[in-house]
Amino acid sequence: MKLTAPQIEHLFTFTRQHYVEWYDLQSELVDHLANAIETQWQENPKLSFDEALNIEFKKFGVFGFMDVVEKRQAVLRKKYNGLVWEHIKGFFGIPKIVLTITMTLVLFSILKVSIYSGWIFMGLYLILMVFSFYKIFKNRKKKQLKAQTKEKIWLFEEIINQYGSIAGIIVLPFNIFNQLIDQTDNFFGNVYWVLGLSFFSVVFFILVFIIFKIIPAKTEEYLLATYPEYKLEKL
Amino acid sequence: MYKILMYICFSIGDCFVPRNDKKMKNSQLYKGSLNTIIMKLLEENGKMYGYEITQKVKAITAGELNITEGALYPALHKLEAEGILDVEIEKVDNRMRKYYKLTEAGTKETVNRLAELEDFIRTMQSLVNPKLEF
Repeated sequence: MKLTAPQIEHLFTFTRQHYVEWYDLQSELVDHLANAIETQWQENPKLSFDEALNIEFKKFGVFGFMDVVEKRQAVLRKKYNGLVWEHIKGFFGIPKIVLTITMTLVLFSILKVSIYSGWIFMGLYLILMVFSFYKIFKNRKKKQLKAQTKEKIWLFEEIINQYGSIAGIIVLPFNIFNQLIDQTDNFFGNVYWVLGLSFFSVVFFILVFIIFKIIPAKTEEYLLATYPEYKLEKL
Repeated sequence: MYKILMYICFSIGDCFVPRNDKKMKNSQLYKGSLNTIIMKLLEENGKMYGYEITQKVKAITAGELNITEGALYPALHKLEAEGILDVEIEKVDNRMRKYYKLTEAGTKETVNRLAELEDFIRTMQSLVNPKLEF
Protein backbone atom coordinates (compact mmCIF):
# COMPACT_ATOMS: atom_id res chain seq x y z
CA MET A 1 0.00 0.00 0.00
CA LYS A 2 1.32 3.43 -0.96
CA LEU A 3 0.82 6.75 0.82
CA THR A 4 -1.70 9.15 -0.69
CA ALA A 5 -0.96 12.78 -1.56
CA PRO A 6 -2.86 14.11 1.54
CA GLN A 7 -0.85 11.72 3.74
CA ILE A 8 2.39 13.02 2.24
CA GLU A 9 1.14 16.55 2.91
CA HIS A 10 0.40 15.50 6.49
CA LEU A 11 4.00 14.27 6.82
CA PHE A 12 5.26 17.70 5.71
CA THR A 13 3.05 19.31 8.36
CA PHE A 14 4.34 16.76 10.89
CA THR A 15 7.98 17.68 10.21
CA ARG A 16 7.10 21.40 10.47
CA GLN A 17 5.42 20.73 13.82
CA HIS A 18 8.65 19.08 14.95
CA TYR A 19 10.75 22.15 14.21
CA VAL A 20 11.94 21.30 10.71
CA GLU A 21 11.11 24.50 8.84
CA TRP A 22 13.26 23.95 5.78
CA TYR A 23 11.96 22.29 2.66
CA ASP A 24 15.24 20.52 1.80
CA LEU A 25 15.29 18.67 5.11
CA GLN A 26 11.53 18.22 5.19
CA SER A 27 11.42 16.46 1.82
CA GLU A 28 14.18 14.02 2.79
CA LEU A 29 12.55 13.21 6.12
CA VAL A 30 9.11 12.89 4.52
CA ASP A 31 10.44 10.35 2.02
CA HIS A 32 12.13 8.44 4.85
CA LEU A 33 8.96 8.36 6.97
CA ALA A 34 6.82 7.45 3.95
CA ASN A 35 9.08 4.52 3.04
CA ALA A 36 9.15 3.34 6.62
CA ILE A 37 5.35 3.55 6.96
CA GLU A 38 4.86 1.65 3.71
CA THR A 39 7.22 -1.09 4.96
CA GLN A 40 5.26 -1.23 8.22
CA TRP A 41 2.05 -1.71 6.27
CA GLN A 42 3.57 -4.60 4.33
CA GLU A 43 4.28 -6.35 7.62
CA ASN A 44 1.11 -5.26 9.38
CA PRO A 45 -1.62 -3.93 7.03
CA LYS A 46 -4.00 -3.25 9.93
CA LEU A 47 -1.78 -0.51 11.35
CA SER A 48 -3.27 2.97 11.00
CA PHE A 49 -1.27 5.80 9.36
CA ASP A 50 -0.86 7.62 12.69
CA GLU A 51 0.25 4.49 14.54
CA ALA A 52 2.84 3.66 11.89
CA LEU A 53 4.05 7.27 11.89
CA ASN A 54 4.43 7.27 15.68
CA ILE A 55 6.47 4.07 15.60
CA GLU A 56 8.78 5.49 12.95
CA PHE A 57 9.17 8.88 14.61
CA LYS A 58 10.21 7.19 17.86
CA LYS A 59 13.11 5.61 15.98
CA PHE A 60 14.62 9.09 15.66
CA GLY A 61 15.10 9.01 19.43
CA VAL A 62 14.11 11.30 22.26
CA PHE A 63 15.33 14.41 20.47
CA GLY A 64 13.22 13.74 17.39
CA PHE A 65 14.56 15.43 14.27
CA MET A 66 16.72 17.87 16.25
CA ASP A 67 19.94 15.95 15.82
CA VAL A 68 19.49 15.75 12.06
CA VAL A 69 18.63 19.48 11.91
CA GLU A 70 21.53 20.62 14.08
CA LYS A 71 24.12 18.57 12.23
CA ARG A 72 22.78 19.74 8.86
CA GLN A 73 22.98 23.35 10.05
CA ALA A 74 26.55 22.79 11.18
CA VAL A 75 27.54 21.31 7.82
CA LEU A 76 25.93 24.16 5.85
CA ARG A 77 27.40 26.84 8.13
CA LYS A 78 30.82 25.34 7.50
CA LYS A 79 30.10 25.45 3.78
CA TYR A 80 29.04 29.10 4.09
CA ASN A 81 32.17 30.02 6.05
CA GLY A 82 34.20 28.30 3.33
CA LEU A 83 32.46 30.46 0.72
CA VAL A 84 33.26 33.64 2.65
CA TRP A 85 36.86 32.54 3.02
CA GLU A 86 37.14 31.83 -0.72
CA HIS A 87 35.89 35.35 -1.50
CA ILE A 88 38.29 36.91 1.02
CA LYS A 89 41.18 35.03 -0.56
CA GLY A 90 40.04 36.45 -3.89
CA PHE A 91 40.76 39.96 -2.59
CA PHE A 92 44.35 38.94 -1.86
CA GLY A 93 44.97 37.34 -5.23
CA ILE A 94 45.71 38.94 -8.60
CA PRO A 95 44.06 41.23 -9.79
CA LYS A 96 41.93 42.21 -6.76
CA ILE A 97 44.94 42.64 -4.47
CA VAL A 98 45.66 45.89 -6.33
CA LEU A 99 42.27 47.17 -5.14
CA THR A 100 42.93 46.00 -1.56
CA ILE A 101 46.32 47.71 -1.44
CA THR A 102 44.99 50.90 -3.07
CA MET A 103 42.11 51.13 -0.59
CA THR A 104 44.50 50.59 2.33
CA LEU A 105 46.88 53.30 1.09
CA VAL A 106 44.06 55.79 0.40
CA LEU A 107 42.61 55.27 3.88
CA PHE A 108 46.09 55.44 5.40
CA SER A 109 46.79 58.78 3.63
CA ILE A 110 43.47 60.27 4.79
CA LEU A 111 43.93 59.15 8.39
CA LYS A 112 47.54 60.31 8.39
CA VAL A 113 46.97 63.77 6.94
CA SER A 114 43.65 64.81 8.47
CA ILE A 115 43.42 66.27 11.96
CA TYR A 116 40.00 64.66 12.28
CA SER A 117 41.29 61.14 11.61
CA GLY A 118 39.52 59.74 14.71
CA TRP A 119 36.17 61.12 13.61
CA ILE A 120 36.68 60.05 9.99
CA PHE A 121 37.38 56.52 11.16
CA MET A 122 34.35 56.49 13.45
CA GLY A 123 32.17 57.93 10.67
CA LEU A 124 33.25 55.30 8.16
CA TYR A 125 32.69 52.58 10.68
CA LEU A 126 29.24 53.89 11.60
CA ILE A 127 28.23 53.93 7.92
CA LEU A 128 29.30 50.28 7.68
CA MET A 129 27.34 49.39 10.81
CA VAL A 130 24.18 51.18 9.70
CA PHE A 131 24.41 49.44 6.31
CA SER A 132 24.84 46.04 8.00
CA PHE A 133 21.93 46.51 10.38
CA TYR A 134 19.73 47.78 7.56
CA LYS A 135 20.47 44.58 5.60
CA ILE A 136 19.82 42.38 8.63
CA PHE A 137 16.52 44.17 9.32
CA LYS A 138 15.46 43.93 5.66
CA ASN A 139 16.13 40.21 5.57
CA ARG A 140 14.23 39.61 8.76
CA LYS A 141 11.22 41.28 7.16
CA LYS A 142 11.67 39.14 4.05
CA LYS A 143 11.75 35.99 6.19
CA GLN A 144 8.56 36.99 8.02
CA LEU A 145 6.84 37.58 4.70
CA LYS A 146 7.97 34.18 3.43
CA ALA A 147 6.61 32.53 6.56
CA GLN A 148 3.26 34.28 6.12
CA THR A 149 2.94 33.26 2.47
CA LYS A 150 4.15 29.72 3.36
CA GLU A 151 6.81 29.93 0.69
CA LYS A 152 9.40 27.16 0.76
CA ILE A 153 12.41 27.96 2.90
CA TRP A 154 15.81 26.42 2.15
CA LEU A 155 18.28 26.01 4.96
CA PHE A 156 21.28 27.29 3.01
CA GLU A 157 19.30 30.30 1.83
CA GLU A 158 18.46 31.09 5.43
CA ILE A 159 22.11 30.79 6.46
CA ILE A 160 23.11 33.16 3.63
CA ASN A 161 20.41 35.64 4.64
CA GLN A 162 21.32 35.38 8.30
CA TYR A 163 24.95 35.89 7.32
CA GLY A 164 26.14 32.70 8.96
CA SER A 165 27.48 33.29 12.38
CA ILE A 166 29.67 36.12 11.18
CA ALA A 167 27.14 38.96 11.51
CA GLY A 168 27.72 39.23 15.27
CA ILE A 169 31.32 40.35 14.86
CA ILE A 170 30.27 43.58 13.12
CA VAL A 171 29.95 45.39 16.42
CA LEU A 172 33.17 44.02 17.89
CA PRO A 173 35.73 46.38 16.28
CA PHE A 174 33.48 49.31 17.19
CA ASN A 175 33.58 48.32 20.84
CA ILE A 176 37.34 47.93 20.77
CA PHE A 177 37.77 51.32 19.12
CA ASN A 178 35.38 52.86 21.62
CA GLN A 179 37.74 51.77 24.38
CA LEU A 180 40.68 53.34 22.57
CA ILE A 181 38.96 56.60 21.58
CA ASP A 182 40.37 58.46 24.60
CA GLN A 183 43.86 57.81 23.37
CA THR A 184 43.25 58.78 19.75
CA ASP A 185 46.03 61.36 19.74
CA ASN A 186 48.67 58.76 20.61
CA PHE A 187 46.96 56.27 18.42
CA PHE A 188 46.86 58.30 15.21
CA GLY A 189 50.32 59.76 15.83
CA ASN A 190 51.96 56.40 15.24
CA VAL A 191 52.45 55.59 11.52
CA TYR A 192 52.50 51.82 12.06
CA TRP A 193 49.29 51.90 14.07
CA VAL A 194 47.56 53.96 11.39
CA LEU A 195 48.79 51.64 8.65
CA GLY A 196 47.64 48.59 10.63
CA LEU A 197 44.30 50.21 11.36
CA SER A 198 43.84 51.12 7.68
CA PHE A 199 44.59 47.58 6.58
CA PHE A 200 42.30 46.09 9.24
CA SER A 201 39.50 48.49 8.27
CA VAL A 202 39.81 47.61 4.58
CA VAL A 203 39.72 43.87 5.36
CA PHE A 204 36.67 44.49 7.52
CA PHE A 205 35.01 46.51 4.78
CA ILE A 206 35.73 43.69 2.29
CA LEU A 207 34.25 41.14 4.74
CA VAL A 208 31.05 43.15 5.17
CA PHE A 209 30.83 43.63 1.41
CA ILE A 210 31.22 39.86 0.81
CA ILE A 211 28.68 38.90 3.49
CA PHE A 212 26.04 41.50 2.67
CA LYS A 213 26.49 42.03 -1.06
CA ILE A 214 28.52 39.49 -3.03
CA ILE A 215 27.19 36.23 -1.54
CA PRO A 216 23.48 37.28 -1.30
CA ALA A 217 23.65 38.38 -4.96
CA LYS A 218 24.70 34.84 -5.90
CA THR A 219 22.14 33.07 -3.66
CA GLU A 220 20.34 31.46 -6.59
CA GLU A 221 23.62 30.10 -7.98
CA TYR A 222 24.64 28.64 -4.61
CA LEU A 223 21.21 27.10 -4.01
CA LEU A 224 21.30 25.44 -7.42
CA ALA A 225 24.74 24.01 -6.62
CA THR A 226 23.65 22.82 -3.17
CA TYR A 227 20.22 21.40 -3.94
CA PRO A 228 19.41 19.46 -7.12
CA GLU A 229 15.74 19.64 -6.04
CA TYR A 230 15.86 23.45 -6.10
CA LYS A 231 15.95 23.38 -9.90
CA LEU A 232 12.95 21.00 -9.99
CA GLU A 233 10.98 23.22 -7.64
CA LYS A 234 11.71 26.32 -9.69
CA LEU A 235 10.57 24.73 -12.98
CA MET B 1 12.67 -0.69 26.88
CA TYR B 2 13.27 0.42 23.33
CA LYS B 3 12.82 4.07 24.33
CA ILE B 4 15.41 3.70 27.07
CA LEU B 5 17.80 2.03 24.65
CA MET B 6 17.35 4.87 22.17
CA TYR B 7 18.02 7.38 24.94
CA ILE B 8 21.24 5.63 25.93
CA CYS B 9 22.15 5.39 22.28
CA PHE B 10 21.78 9.15 21.82
CA SER B 11 23.47 9.95 25.11
CA ILE B 12 26.65 8.18 24.15
CA GLY B 13 26.38 9.41 20.60
CA ASP B 14 26.09 5.97 19.08
CA CYS B 15 24.97 5.29 15.56
CA PHE B 16 23.77 1.75 15.86
CA VAL B 17 21.22 -0.19 17.83
CA PRO B 18 22.20 -3.83 18.10
CA ARG B 19 19.31 -6.26 18.22
CA ASN B 20 19.91 -7.66 21.69
CA ASP B 21 20.02 -5.56 24.82
CA LYS B 22 23.06 -7.53 25.97
CA LYS B 23 25.00 -6.28 22.97
CA MET B 24 24.34 -2.63 23.71
CA LYS B 25 27.88 -1.92 24.83
CA ASN B 26 29.21 -3.30 21.53
CA SER B 27 27.53 -0.55 19.54
CA GLN B 28 30.37 1.84 20.45
CA LEU B 29 32.74 -0.34 18.47
CA TYR B 30 30.77 0.31 15.30
CA LYS B 31 30.53 4.07 15.76
CA GLY B 32 33.70 4.98 13.88
CA SER B 33 32.82 2.73 10.96
CA LEU B 34 29.48 4.29 9.96
CA ASN B 35 30.94 6.37 7.12
CA THR B 36 32.92 3.44 5.76
CA ILE B 37 29.83 1.22 5.85
CA ILE B 38 27.82 3.84 3.93
CA MET B 39 30.61 4.25 1.37
CA LYS B 40 30.99 0.49 0.92
CA LEU B 41 27.24 0.08 0.36
CA LEU B 42 27.22 2.88 -2.21
CA GLU B 43 30.23 1.40 -3.96
CA GLU B 44 28.34 -1.86 -4.35
CA ASN B 45 24.90 -0.48 -5.14
CA GLY B 46 25.62 2.66 -7.14
CA LYS B 47 23.04 5.04 -5.72
CA MET B 48 20.87 4.64 -2.63
CA TYR B 49 18.49 6.73 -0.53
CA GLY B 50 18.59 7.03 3.25
CA TYR B 51 15.88 4.55 4.14
CA GLU B 52 17.29 2.03 1.66
CA ILE B 53 20.69 2.20 3.43
CA THR B 54 19.14 1.44 6.84
CA GLN B 55 17.22 -1.51 5.37
CA LYS B 56 20.24 -2.85 3.51
CA VAL B 57 22.41 -2.86 6.66
CA LYS B 58 19.59 -4.60 8.52
CA ALA B 59 19.28 -7.23 5.78
CA ILE B 60 23.03 -7.88 5.39
CA THR B 61 23.56 -8.27 9.12
CA ALA B 62 20.35 -10.30 9.46
CA GLY B 63 18.90 -7.65 11.78
CA GLU B 64 21.97 -7.69 14.01
CA LEU B 65 22.63 -3.98 13.39
CA ASN B 66 20.22 -1.12 12.83
CA ILE B 67 21.64 2.24 11.79
CA THR B 68 19.76 4.88 13.76
CA GLU B 69 18.07 7.57 11.67
CA GLY B 70 19.49 10.29 13.89
CA ALA B 71 23.01 9.22 12.92
CA LEU B 72 22.55 8.22 9.29
CA TYR B 73 21.41 11.56 7.86
CA PRO B 74 24.08 13.66 9.60
CA ALA B 75 26.69 11.20 8.29
CA LEU B 76 25.29 11.41 4.75
CA HIS B 77 25.16 15.21 4.86
CA LYS B 78 28.72 15.40 6.14
CA LEU B 79 30.03 13.07 3.45
CA GLU B 80 28.16 15.14 0.86
CA ALA B 81 29.76 18.35 2.16
CA GLU B 82 33.19 16.72 2.06
CA GLY B 83 32.70 15.98 -1.63
CA ILE B 84 32.67 12.21 -1.07
CA LEU B 85 29.00 11.88 -2.00
CA ASP B 86 26.91 13.51 -4.67
CA VAL B 87 23.11 13.76 -4.65
CA GLU B 88 20.44 13.11 -7.22
CA ILE B 89 16.74 13.83 -6.93
CA GLU B 90 13.95 11.75 -8.41
CA LYS B 91 10.23 12.10 -8.09
CA VAL B 92 8.85 8.79 -6.81
CA ASP B 93 5.22 8.16 -5.71
CA ASN B 94 4.20 11.82 -5.38
CA ARG B 95 7.28 12.70 -3.31
CA MET B 96 10.90 13.65 -3.83
CA ARG B 97 13.56 11.03 -3.26
CA LYS B 98 17.15 12.01 -2.59
CA TYR B 99 19.69 9.48 -3.82
CA TYR B 100 23.30 9.48 -2.68
CA LYS B 101 26.15 8.21 -4.83
CA LEU B 102 29.93 8.26 -4.61
CA THR B 103 31.82 10.97 -6.42
CA GLU B 104 35.05 10.16 -8.21
CA ALA B 105 37.01 11.31 -5.16
CA GLY B 106 34.61 9.33 -2.98
CA THR B 107 35.29 6.12 -4.89
CA LYS B 108 39.04 6.55 -4.35
CA GLU B 109 38.48 7.40 -0.68
CA THR B 110 36.35 4.26 -0.24
CA VAL B 111 39.30 2.09 -1.27
CA ASN B 112 41.52 3.83 1.32
CA ARG B 113 38.95 3.63 4.10
CA LEU B 114 38.21 -0.03 3.45
CA ALA B 115 41.92 -0.84 3.51
CA GLU B 116 42.19 1.10 6.78
CA LEU B 117 39.25 -0.81 8.26
CA GLU B 118 40.68 -4.16 7.16
CA ASP B 119 44.01 -3.25 8.78
CA PHE B 120 42.18 -2.33 11.94
CA ILE B 121 40.29 -5.65 11.94
CA ARG B 122 43.56 -7.57 11.40
CA THR B 123 45.29 -5.71 14.22
CA MET B 124 42.38 -6.27 16.57
CA GLN B 125 42.26 -9.92 15.62
CA SER B 126 45.93 -10.36 16.42
CA LEU B 127 45.43 -8.63 19.75
CA VAL B 128 42.28 -10.45 20.74
CA ASN B 129 43.29 -13.82 19.38
CA PRO B 130 47.11 -13.90 19.31
CA LYS B 131 48.84 -16.90 17.79
CA LEU B 132 51.60 -17.53 20.24
CA GLU B 133 54.80 -19.02 18.86
CA PHE B 134 57.28 -20.87 20.98
